[in-house]
Amino acid sequence: MKCPVCLEKVQSYHSMASHFLSEDEKSDPGHVMFLNRYISRNRIEQEQLSDNLERFFHMDNGFRNWIIRTFVNRFFGDSPHPFILENQHPKPYIIRGYAMEHHHFLWQWVRSCSYIIGNSDNDDVVQYEIENITSEWYGTNDSPSHHELLLRMGEAYGLNRKDILNSIPLPATESAKEFWSYACKNLSWQEGMSAMHSLELIANRKVLEYGGKFGYFDPSVMKSSEIREEAKEFLKEGYLADVSHSERALIIIERHSDLEMLQNCQAVFMKSIEYFYDYLLARIERGYILENKQ
Amino acid sequence: MREVIYLKTNNETGCGLCDATWGKYYKDIDGDNMVFCCSICADIFEEMVRRVKENTGWKSIDYVELHGNYSRGRECTARNGDDTFSYYFRTYSDGKFITFEKR
Ligand SMILES: [Zn+2]
Ligand SMILES: [Zn+2]
Repeated sequence: MKCPVCLEKVQSYHSMASHFLSEDEKSDPGHVMFLNRYISRNRIEQEQLSDNLERFFHMDNGFRNWIIRTFVNRFFGDSPHPFILENQHPKPYIIRGYAMEHHHFLWQWVRSCSYIIGNSDNDDVVQYEIENITSEWYGTNDSPSHHELLLRMGEAYGLNRKDILNSIPLPATESAKEFWSYACKNLSWQEGMSAMHSLELIANRKVLEYGGKFGYFDPSVMKSSEIREEAKEFLKEGYLADVSHSERALIIIERHSDLEMLQNCQAVFMKSIEYFYDYLLARIERGYILENKQ
Repeated sequence: MREVIYLKTNNETGCGLCDATWGKYYKDIDGDNMVFCCSICADIFEEMVRRVKENTGWKSIDYVELHGNYSRGRECTARNGDDTFSYYFRTYSDGKFITFEKR
């Protein structure tokens, strides 16, 4: 298994606890924040920490279930992600921020999926990722890509396609891109897929069934005139496509991994959602920046 | 003789910003050696103090009441003598501010 903060190899939850305690001695921000957010706000000793880490990572109902539960808690739980709150009834500034920052996400996305293909020896993975790259970036004769729908949404809200394509990602988006590039290039295909495809759960319609307090957006926006048609087209696409999609990736990973590999995937997933968290904040910040310019 | 002014917060057990009892990172805030869980919480607190002073024109702050967390952002009230200033802020996980607004 690996440390969910620095990805250092550890032998057991006992040694993971020792590792956290030694990082705590140094007040290392990443490790301290992980303990604060996921384990306990109050300092606990080795034995209890080891037990709590084991409980946190224990996959009662399998890997897929653990990923979904952890993701839903983080983004749709008691303190939902601010972007999720804003996206319930998205205002124009949020949609603009979304359109510009997400271009960079998708740009990285297809590259990460390509690294995963390169690292895999499995045909299911190749087929899955090629379908993914096609629908996200290239599209087919019958259906424009998700990226194209994103650009159209941005244009409908007054942005220029060229400005989106030529924009420079905000620092949080840039750091996230770097991590996703590193992870998919250098780690196993299973870890790469865990880093990327778990993120698609963000738009999964079943989030409410999985215990989320909110969905990605309030479905009533689809029937009202509060958002433009182009925004509906874009949101609908992800909403429909990502349902079985993200879960299919988790099933592929689970089928082709032993316990040790799944534990490594958990660590990479934890790291990936931290970057994703900040990336979603960057959509809001970009919205503010574009709003103030106009 | 110089009077030492201590900046207090409602976080009495742990980190001056988040109240966690992990880590031990000291930083001088307004002449007071405050304890935080890590350098990021310390930097956020320092920047918060700077922004409160910038908004109010105060020379120092006696007390800050903080509510919320990293996800929700923090609703705060700062006090200087009889004056109070209420505000809200949110940061990225590296401590960079996204919002700071008067409430
Ligand atoms: Zn570590
Ligand atoms: Zn703290």
